Amino acid sequence: MRVALGWLAEWIPLPDSTDALMERLTLGGLEIESIERTGPPLDGIVVGHVVACERHPDADRLSVCQVDTGDGKPVEVVCGAPNVAEGQKIAFAPPGTVLPDGTKLKKTKIRGVVSRGMICSARELGLGDEHDGILVLDPAAPVGAPAAESLSIGDVVLEMEITPNRGDWASMLGMAREVRSHFGGELTPPDTQPAEEGTPAADDVVVEIEASDGCPRYVARVVRGVQVGPSPEWLRERLEAAGIRAINTVVDVTNLVMLEFGQPLHAFDLGTLRGGRVRVRRATPGEKLVTLDGQARALEATDLVIADAERGIALAGVMGGTETEVSPATSDVLIEAAQFHPTDVRRTARRLGLHSESSYRFERGVDPEGVARAADRAARLLVELAGGRAAPGRVEARGTALPHTDTVRLDPARVNRLLGTDLSSDDVAALLRRADLDTAQDGAQLVASVPSWRQDVAQEADLVEEVARVYGYDRIPTTLPVGPVAPVSRPAGSRLGERVRDALVAQGLLECITLPFAAPEDPDLLGLVADDPRRHSVRLRNPIIGEHSELRTSLIPSLLRLAHHNLARQADALQLFEIGPCFLANDREGPGQDALPAEPVGVAGLITRGERPRLWESRERIPLFFLGKGVAERVLFDLGYAAWCRSEPGSQRGGTEPYHHPGAAARFGVGERVIGSVGELHPETAARFGIEVPCVVFELDVSGLLEVPPRDADFQEVSRQPAARRDLAVLLDRDAAAGEVQEAIGAAAGPDLVSVELFDRYEGRGVPEGKVSLAFRLVFQRTDRAVREAEIAKRVDRVVKMLAHRFGGQLRD
Amino acid sequence: MSQVDQLQDEAREAVAAAGSLAELVQVRARFLGRKGSVAAVLRSIGELPAAERGPVGAAANRAKQQIESWVAERRSALKRAGRSKSLEQHRLDTSLPGAAPASGRLHPVTRVFRDVVEFFTSMGFAIEEGPEVETDWNNFGALNFPDDHPARDIQDTFFVEGGHVLRTHTSPVQIRAMTGLAPPFRFIAPGRVYRHDSDATHTPMFHQIEGFMVDERTTFADLKGVLHAFARHMFGPETELRFRAHYFPFTEPSAEMDFSWRGGWMEWGGCGMIHPNVLTNCGVDPQRWQGWAFGMGIDRTAMDLYGLSDLRSLFEGDVRLLERL
Repeated sequence: MRVALGWLAEWIPLPDSTDALMERLTLGGLEIESIERTGPPLDGIVVGHVVACERHPDADRLSVCQVDTGDGKPVEVVCGAPNVAEGQKIAFAPPGTVLPDGTKLKKTKIRGVVSRGMICSARELGLGDEHDGILVLDPAAPVGAPAAESLSIGDVVLEMEITPNRGDWASMLGMAREVRSHFGGELTPPDTQPAEEGTPAADDVVVEIEASDGCPRYVARVVRGVQVGPSPEWLRERLEAAGIRAINTVVDVTNLVMLEFGQPLHAFDLGTLRGGRVRVRRATPGEKLVTLDGQARALEATDLVIADAERGIALAGVMGGTETEVSPATSDVLIEAAQFHPTDVRRTARRLGLHSESSYRFERGVDPEGVARAADRAARLLVELAGGRAAPGRVEARGTALPHTDTVRLDPARVNRLLGTDLSSDDVAALLRRADLDTAQDGAQLVASVPSWRQDVAQEADLVEEVARVYGYDRIPTTLPVGPVAPVSRPAGSRLGERVRDALVAQGLLECITLPFAAPEDPDLLGLVADDPRRHSVRLRNPIIGEHSELRTSLIPSLLRLAHHNLARQADALQLFEIGPCFLANDREGPGQDALPAEPVGVAGLITRGERPRLWESRERIPLFFLGKGVAERVLFDLGYAAWCRSEPGSQRGGTEPYHHPGAAARFGVGERVIGSVGELHPETAARFGIEVPCVVFELDVSGLLEVPPRDADFQEVSRQPAARRDLAVLLDRDAAAGEVQEAIGAAAGPDLVSVELFDRYEGRGVPEGKVSLAFRLVFQRTDRAVREAEIAKRVDRVVKMLAHRFGGQLRD
Repeated sequence: MSQVDQLQDEAREAVAAAGSLAELVQVRARFLGRKGSVAAVLRSIGELPAAERGPVGAAANRAKQQIESWVAERRSALKRAGRSKSLEQHRLDTSLPGAAPASGRLHPVTRVFRDVVEFFTSMGFAIEEGPEVETDWNNFGALNFPDDHPARDIQDTFFVEGGHVLRTHTSPVQIRAMTGLAPPFRFIAPGRVYRHDSDATHTPMFHQIEGFMVDERTTFADLKGVLHAFARHMFGPETELRFRAHYFPFTEPSAEMDFSWRGGWMEWGGCGMIHPNVLTNCGVDPQRWQGWAFGMGIDRTAMDLYGLSDLRSLFEGDVRLLERL
């Protein structure tokens, strides 16, 4: 809503300070989105004070003035105006100013005296033709401030956001009431009563409300003999300042009255109305109407239509029809002022995408008691401005009134209990009075009468809000709550999620958050099989054009897109992760079909390797797979799980993801449950996502981890006895699984073995074709005493025999 | 000069000549080791006439102690010399870049969330969560949004097939946290929310924090106090808050709050006393219980705190940006 303050000032006295006005309106709930000034541009022109004025030494008709512009250093200016005098406040334009007529001022020399600027006349300011002398400003004008603010020219237009509950604000009347609630003053609305002549309006037209629930009130006025032409300048300016295009006198008058009183109006050409009837009814099956914008609209049975005796002539509250449109040939007009049901207007406006100033106000509810007044006001203006003759009387009809709460009770003690204030009953009553809510005392309670335009006030809380709003939120105290202290809980999943983040960040990964939307082709890009649950996505009914139309079922596609995005920007090595929910559609039918989708939380990580090794990489680069595996294993360990990692292609538990390289992938699990996976990216998948460097991805099911037990606290004290190390290098078949060998060593070496670690894997010179050399470090230690040489020798011997027997392994030197 | 005296002199010179700790170890072994010179003297005592055995033995033991003390002196002198050599020679160009191991980073939104959670847990607020795909009832109906009313237009909604919505705010968590449970309540609900909107200051998914408290006496003044304390925790101790009247279906009175930021006001979020209809919808008697709620966008806060100009960059995952934030 755009409000010109000059216009508003005709309705209610405004405070001197526009800033104070804006501050109060803002705090009271009218958010000011922009401030504009109409009228000629006076940028750079400021209020100056003529501190000295003497005759020019070489010219009788010129004066040399010293003008203070606010910085304390008066400027010397030569002025030719006869009325300039010491002590005046004037509009001063310094060199460089562009005047409204486009002239750019320069420093000049006039008869030997340098003039640094100009004292402006009204014409130079674009404010009329007065050129005989300079424009003298109000003596109170602040020196140095923009001159436009001290001139009664143009207008300040505030653009304000009106909250959906306060449709009654959307007019000059509503704004004036709001200003009055903050600053007081007397409301002076314009006259509405038209001078009437001729035969009664009821002779020309009857109004019938057939759809009673859609139209509580309908008022028609007839004005005969109007001259349809351009509106006077002031009317056009008012509409334009409000953001409405001027069209012709009749249409402009209906719009002006809407801006004044918040009541949308429509004008019909009475000459085109058939049968002298106005009917308010629902659309008939198959009905069409050509609206003012020239579009043929197919109507639905729920649409509220204004019709004459034969056909539809307007969509109630939304848009008129072309066949009864006011044109230059129109002589007699019918003014419609009505209250339509907000839901009816809203439904039709939304379906047809026809949002207008009119539908905006109807949707928010108009004042039923203001309907007739608006019709009168329009008739009066058409008499005044278009030479019309207002037919005596209104033609009125009523449907079912909308529910309205007439009185609401309020316990003043409750106001204080809710707000933390200390207001007396009288204080509360006075505050409500300022908001046009008159109260009567009933025992300890107040009974407030709700005015017809306040459809938002229906219960006690609404009154409490009015008290707080008028009182000022800034005057409500600031305190801290008191109450019993209880331990603070946090959902287990949320806590686990934070620990996962910490574990990954500690290993050098960067957390990303992506929008969880997915493209329908994502499952194909990942190569998911037909019965994969991740093909059951949740689809959006109204995706943003160009964005993805489903919710993700996997974190991998967006992570791969991120990788592509970054690699395309020369990022070197990437170590990314994202944690968050995926969405699996509920495909149940019958009972439970309304259940929400599952939202399992998962984490996915991605690692690529750059040109240069990072500090945490060994100089001889191990396959990328192991970075992913190591990171995921470390997370699982840090979270307290005893997890396994296996590749058993083909088996249910070990099968890898279709987007993993089949030769470099594995699954993680805890107990019987699969809990994640790791794999180098399948070359086909990598190609589909445009990733050209080796890449490993891992995933962990965070929600799933909540359902598996953490490992036992099997902490063993660190021994103070010396440890004995033995390194064994074994020649094995190339495809022997090191993990399996290591596990077997652990089992064979007996209870004193505290660790076994693979520290070297070697193929090449000195190792026969088809073989590999694996070197393990075994550490023996006891807590009660040192391990004896003989014991170690016996255990190593057992390990060596086991390796030979089970794996065909052969000790190297 | 006796053999012992001679030995002692030799040892003194050898100890003094030892230029390193390793040499000193060798010198000590030569004189004091099991096969060293002093041990040899002591072993040879038996071959001496009985009368000499005592004095020679005593002299040898004295020499042993004497040499031991020279060795100890020399050892500490050598160590001292080593330390001062290090002090003289270890000179770095400290302007060369530091070499930290690669480290990860939490997303700025996560860091802001943690900061928020830290503050509110210190104030005794528990954490609650809810799903991101929500029922129309939890997202709108229970929160007192009238059906088919312009209030529903404030929040451009994503609808999913089957009739549910992507939650447009974290307020449905209020409904979930209160329904069927007995007050008092003190909760915050951090989470992701969705609006059908995309430009430099709007992303279709963003993050909110919801906070609410219900007991028999907490007031709008308490709400102001908690938000003041919270604002100062987030933006510094000088931060001021401004409350503007506003409209939300689920609170009344409702306010929007702005915080002071670089000489102006920055919009922060919405708040108000929980609407009695919302309490009733959750089975909480509004005659007995009352409370307040607030909600604010976290991403905008992160944007302000980290000086970002485009909200979308938070979710584009450009590592050059994320590593710096």
